[in-house]
Amino acid sequence: MEKVIIIRYSELHLKGKNRGWFERVFAVNMEKSLKGIKHEIHRHSGRYLIENFDESDIQLICDKLKKVFGIHSYSVALKVSTDMEEMFNAAEKVSFKEGSFKVETHRADKSFPLNSMQISAEIGGKLLDANEKLKVDVHNPQFIINIDLRENGTALVFNEFFKGAGGMPVGTSGKGLLLISGGIDSPVAGYMIAKRGMVLDGIHFHSYPYTNMQAKEKVIELAKTLSAYTCGMNLHIVSVTHIQEEIHKKCNGDFMVTLLRRFMMRLAEKVVEKCGAQCLITGESLAQVASQTVEGMTSSNSVIKCLPVLRPLCGFDKDEIIERSRLIGTYEISIQPYEDCCTVFLPKHPVTRPKMAEVLAEEAKLDVDNLLNEALSTLEIIKI
Amino acid sequence: MIYLDNAATEKPDKKYINAAEKYLLEEYFNPSALYKSGYKLHLELKEARRNILTRIANENNFSLVFTSGGTEADNQAIFCGGRRGNVVTTYGEHSAVFSAVNELKQRGLEVRFANLNSDGSMDIENLLSLVDEKTSLVSVIHVNNETGAVNDIFSIAEKVKEKNKYTLFHSDGVQAFGKISFRLTDNIDLYSINAHKIGGVKGCGALLKKKNLQIKPYVYGGGQEQGLRSGTENVFAIKCFEGAAVDRYLRLDESFKKVTVLNNTMRRLLDGGLFTVLSSENASPYILCVAVKGVRGETVLHEADDNGLIIGTGSACSSNLKKRYSRVILACGVDDVTADGVLRLSFSPNNTFDEVETAADILNKIVSNRKRIMA
Repeated sequence: MEKVIIIRYSELHLKGKNRGWFERVFAVNMEKSLKGIKHEIHRHSGRYLIENFDESDIQLICDKLKKVFGIHSYSVALKVSTDMEEMFNAAEKVSFKEGSFKVETHRADKSFPLNSMQISAEIGGKLLDANEKLKVDVHNPQFIINIDLRENGTALVFNEFFKGAGGMPVGTSGKGLLLISGGIDSPVAGYMIAKRGMVLDGIHFHSYPYTNMQAKEKVIELAKTLSAYTCGMNLHIVSVTHIQEEIHKKCNGDFMVTLLRRFMMRLAEKVVEKCGAQCLITGESLAQVASQTVEGMTSSNSVIKCLPVLRPLCGFDKDEIIERSRLIGTYEISIQPYEDCCTVFLPKHPVTRPKMAEVLAEEAKLDVDNLLNEALSTLEIIKI
Repeated sequence: MIYLDNAATEKPDKKYINAAEKYLLEEYFNPSALYKSGYKLHLELKEARRNILTRIANENNFSLVFTSGGTEADNQAIFCGGRRGNVVTTYGEHSAVFSAVNELKQRGLEVRFANLNSDGSMDIENLLSLVDEKTSLVSVIHVNNETGAVNDIFSIAEKVKEKNKYTLFHSDGVQAFGKISFRLTDNIDLYSINAHKIGGVKGCGALLKKKNLQIKPYVYGGGQEQGLRSGTENVFAIKCFEGAAVDRYLRLDESFKKVTVLNNTMRRLLDGGLFTVLSSENASPYILCVAVKGVRGETVLHEADDNGLIIGTGSACSSNLKKRYSRVILACGVDDVTADGVLRLSFSPNNTFDEVETAADILNKIVSNRKRIMA
């Protein structure tokens, strides 16, 4: 009696002629996440089976699968032949020792002599005979024994559905560049977009020597955590120290954040050209801090020529974002107290609703092209 | 590379490591074992214990317990000495004491903190006013690890005992041992020292304890170290510690004089328009605390690092403003802006005059350039 893991995918069945491509990307992602662990992945109609793994690796495999987008749910099942006796033995193994239950049967193999109801009734009856502490409750059972008869003469018997990460397989929705700081929000933004199938690269800005190596290390850790969901990523790191110094020296200090954000967007756009991404992703949430007003977004967005900028957290409250960051495992890293570049030279009264004319007047005091080229010369790429 | 962060740790001396290497590879036995090879190590430890102890105390009056370092020695003193009533300490303690007494507070003991003078030394009158008949422990750092201020722990201990003879007196001597001249008096009950600040290896320290003083263990187990600190002793590290301690005390005055000149040279060469010296003239010459107004200490640290100069800073990087500044520096009455720009330069007898001159030059350049940018 072999243990297997049943993988059910989410929206893929809604796809039409390109469904095969979606399924292939999905399978490749599962293979990537299980790299180094003994297993085989087989596709059956509407689901995948993971087989031939060491039983001691089950927990490890399940933990990895939880991070693969596209999985709707999964179950650990016993694989037997469609012989009634064998199916009963498997059902007995997955059954609790006491409590109320029901048996639910799905019969893909319509040539099987008994129909689903009859199989459920017979196996259920035998279970009752074998253990007097069990009772049947078809309306509110404490556990359900599922029997899934496949076309190839095998049956899968299991008692639990685990929820998968949902979403679409990463790699089916293009590639985006995530502006990642050391904070709580940006990793969550990246997670949400990757969940819809997008491959991610990251870009991080630092202000060494005003910030330290630990701050950079923290971002690398965040990217690593995120990359478990995104099947890896490249992290682009750019120094904005001199840009901040020039703004500090030549412009009205209250515009520091507004102007710096415009530089960051421009730098990100340049990196997009290099890494082949098709959009930018930011962790901005409407009205969360001074710079995240619609006026602030207008100012930073206006330097981007023709890329979409995705802001998946715009409609989220801070506590909703925190809740998600805890779920994906980035919260504990994000709250380490190292500064990223935004807090250096922070004005006491930042402009919250910048007027474009004023922003442009302040920016005119700077040699924008030169500063951008200089910053890009510091670009460092880390493969996560 | 010029290394001026010796108060954080000193470069270990190869001499001691080579001499003690055999305790890692050949004489690897358990010093508590009963066979001859084990017993021999027991005797070696006994000798090391004596050789370290007698540098600063009379072996008839004090015993020594090896620990995993200064922090553990401090924790043992605080948790085993402060068991009832109230505990009195200062705002100038190292975190090994400060965090430990705060834990005592959580456990329901009353903890009282004495104020600091502007150089980081403690306000003696204030401390004495806090001691009463219920004080079970007083802990005062001997040499402040941030400003180098030297507390006269011997006269303080005497006055504390006059007020309450049952009060135990502990001092953290990690920045004093092997650096300044002193002998422990009978009024000192517990004294913490450490190996890696004087050229030994990390992970080794000791707590000196008055003989006949009954305290409970802090680490329980096989009963090593007179039952006070269980766990198989790190013979290698202890023998390195012994070598370093004996060597340091042979050259104590000579080293002190040299470091004093290094410190004075640095004070003289640093541009007075850029740096404010926070350490007093009487501070330990091994530590020089200065502040740069308007430039964050950490920024200077990174730039110095890039220029081949390693120094320390008084402020840890944190976006939490309350945590960013050193609590000790703030307790000296320094304002926020100055506290943000604190640097700690700390010397060893192995530093050279050339190094100090180059370091001062690098610091002057970095800070004047930074000030220009930040203006």
